[in-house]
Amino acid sequence: MDCIITVEIGTNAVRVMAFDLDGNVIGSAKGSYPTFHIEPDFSEQDPDQIFITTLYVMKNLLTEKIHPRNHKVISICFSASMHSVLPIDKNGVPLGNAITWADNRGKKEAQELKNSPLGAKIYDATGTPIHPMSPLIKITWLNRNDQERFKQTYKFLSIKTYILQQLTKGYLLDYSLASATGLLNISKLCWEEEALNYAGINADKLPELVPVFHSPGKLRREYQQSLGLSEDVNIIIGSSDGCLATLGGGVWDEGKATITVEDSGAVRVVGKEILKDKKQRLFNYLLTDEYFVSGGPTNNGGVVFEWFTNQFGDFKSPYDLEYTMSNLVKEALNVPVGSDGLLFLPYLLGERAPIWNPYARGSYFGINIKHEKGHFVRATLEGILYEIYSIGKTLQEHVNINTLTTNGSFASIPFCTQMLADIFNKPVSIGKNPDSIAQGAFLLSATNMRIYKSLEEAARSVVLSVAYEPQIQNHAVYQKYFSIFERLSSKLNNEFEDLVNLQHEPW
Amino acid sequence: MPQSQFILQQGLSKELELFPHISEFGLRKNNTIQLNSFIVSQSDNLQIYFIIDGKFDWIINHQHQVLYPGDTALVLPGQVVGGSKGYLGIGAYFWLHLQVKKIDANGKLIPGEWSNLSSGDCQAIGKILLLNNLPVLKVKEVAGILQEMRMEITSQELGYITRVNHIIDSLLIIIARHSTRQAISRRDFPQTFLKLEQTLRQNLAHQWTVEEMAAMVGLCSTAFTEKVKNYTGFSPLHYLINIRVSEAVKLLKREKVNITDIALETGFYSSQHFSTTFKKLTGHTPGEYRKSNNSYK
Repeated sequence: MDCIITVEIGTNAVRVMAFDLDGNVIGSAKGSYPTFHIEPDFSEQDPDQIFITTLYVMKNLLTEKIHPRNHKVISICFSASMHSVLPIDKNGVPLGNAITWADNRGKKEAQELKNSPLGAKIYDATGTPIHPMSPLIKITWLNRNDQERFKQTYKFLSIKTYILQQLTKGYLLDYSLASATGLLNISKLCWEEEALNYAGINADKLPELVPVFHSPGKLRREYQQSLGLSEDVNIIIGSSDGCLATLGGGVWDEGKATITVEDSGAVRVVGKEILKDKKQRLFNYLLTDEYFVSGGPTNNGGVVFEWFTNQFGDFKSPYDLEYTMSNLVKEALNVPVGSDGLLFLPYLLGERAPIWNPYARGSYFGINIKHEKGHFVRATLEGILYEIYSIGKTLQEHVNINTLTTNGSFASIPFCTQMLADIFNKPVSIGKNPDSIAQGAFLLSATNMRIYKSLEEAARSVVLSVAYEPQIQNHAVYQKYFSIFERLSSKLNNEFEDLVNLQHEPW
Repeated sequence: MPQSQFILQQGLSKELELFPHISEFGLRKNNTIQLNSFIVSQSDNLQIYFIIDGKFDWIINHQHQVLYPGDTALVLPGQVVGGSKGYLGIGAYFWLHLQVKKIDANGKLIPGEWSNLSSGDCQAIGKILLLNNLPVLKVKEVAGILQEMRMEITSQELGYITRVNHIIDSLLIIIARHSTRQAISRRDFPQTFLKLEQTLRQNLAHQWTVEEMAAMVGLCSTAFTEKVKNYTGFSPLHYLINIRVSEAVKLLKREKVNITDIALETGFYSSQHFSTTFKKLTGHTPGEYRKSNNSYK
């Protein structure tokens, strides 16, 4: 039987999945790698460890589940987290670790550019909000603060570029990931001169741009051998996690949006137009030259509930986070909608869309003497989802949204899915494949092989669950509390900043 | 608790003649503040304190520590200890100074011939004490253990030498166990694992066993293996191979180190073992890999 392999180089781990040509998952494996925080704002990963882990996981999956059953791999498609930067020297050797999307070292540079007319111009051209996550800001930071590394750099790669260069040859970047660098003009599909100038580099410091269907060439002979693959396997460069999660979530038509919540989260729509948000709150990433994936990301998804569980959950059996989490969710069930007036701002990690405030911090608001632990549990979940809703609301200033699909471990907890339906007052379905990124990468490969005529057709093949229908009386309650939530989020800017400065003070 | 003061010192107290590894053992009740009675200085042995009463303001290993009743303080050989203002403080405490031979470069505790601890236990205990580096622990059993030890030493009944040495062994075990339990939050495995990973990287040349790694995070091997698999996708030993090969790749690309040295530095038994493992994964022997990524000149 023929099969397609997808390789997803994620934030904490690489996930490799195998699909048959009908899109059924026939095997999967993962391998994690650490993130290093050598300074509070730094977030780095070792590119060679990511490479070896990728190779190791691929080899394990192939030798355990694919080769013994005589499945024939015909294509391998890649996806990766956005916004990573890896400087390499002229010999192709990494100059230190890769800087991940979560790295905040460039917050000064970002603030400066964001508040300038040039920043607005660059946002319009590139579609990427000006933020420390963006490679534009990271390279600028290196230029200003790490001249030695900056000068030695032959090219600034993404992690995926490095992995693919190791497996094949050449330094390539797909338009999808490129459109998340803050350096690509998404209308003209070329590097944006003004952004390059700001970062202090020329286009030759960046990888070569190619479409998502592009093949970087054959797998190097040594890896054909170690993985037991033939030289005909078609390698596809693929796209970014965000764009593929949208495709794999089956969202392609007008009026649809997808909500993904894992540790972090995002709300996304697909369209043929760039959404030009005056307040620079939304991103616009390219899937192909025809389609844009637009939306907003939040830092504070499942990771916030995980934090809550770690602090306040009952750990009867040691380490069992998921069990403890689901017990907490049960407690929340017994608390009325709106948590009897207890509100939670979930900004534990600062926030991106829609407030884009790295200084924002979490808060429980409106505690009274009758509130019990269950109220805090429910308020925490509600706060995380209000934040998702506020991104959806921002999107609805530009497009209509009639139905929602959701994926990711947090948003697919039935209790949370129902809450989303109620808060949005729209039906919400769950994707059948919990890993929508891999599903998207499969659809991309399958479209490339002409199994589907187009990406639209591919997206429509995604099977969704029966929708969770909104309950209007709950929606009315959520609306009242959301209005306070929204006002609180933007009211505390000075206090957030003063407090964060105190938090950073070495006492 | 009505306990009287006592002090036993090696060379002065007859009771310690048969215990050359105990340099000092005693219980002190201090009612006055005497300036310069406890100046910060380096310890050349393993010091264990148990606070019975009062409050003590000390510096241990350059960190300020306030000790309350029920606290056990631990000072490793080479670390400094003393009153933060140069004096002892008011209250009562047990102390025991042990002449352990050393904690060697690999983190192995070498107690001496009197001890019955196995080589693996010494390895684990030494590493745990060294790496967790928690100078103050809450271990309530220590009071009873020290009390029993005092009884044995003073009453000198049949078999007391064996008993005392056993007691010291179990004291070390109990302190190490508590140290891992306190160092890791049982709630946060990813955080715990990250710490362990750093330890592995710093001691990559060491031939880690699953038991040792599990001991570092205070789990039994079975639970540890399951947790690691769940979290990383790899069994502990495969995860270790992953780190070893990743580090080796870096060294092969970046430095002009000979391949046998890389093999040993990254924890392979031999260059042969290195070569086979490396080739299985990358399709190339280390030498071939270096040639095809020939970047250092």
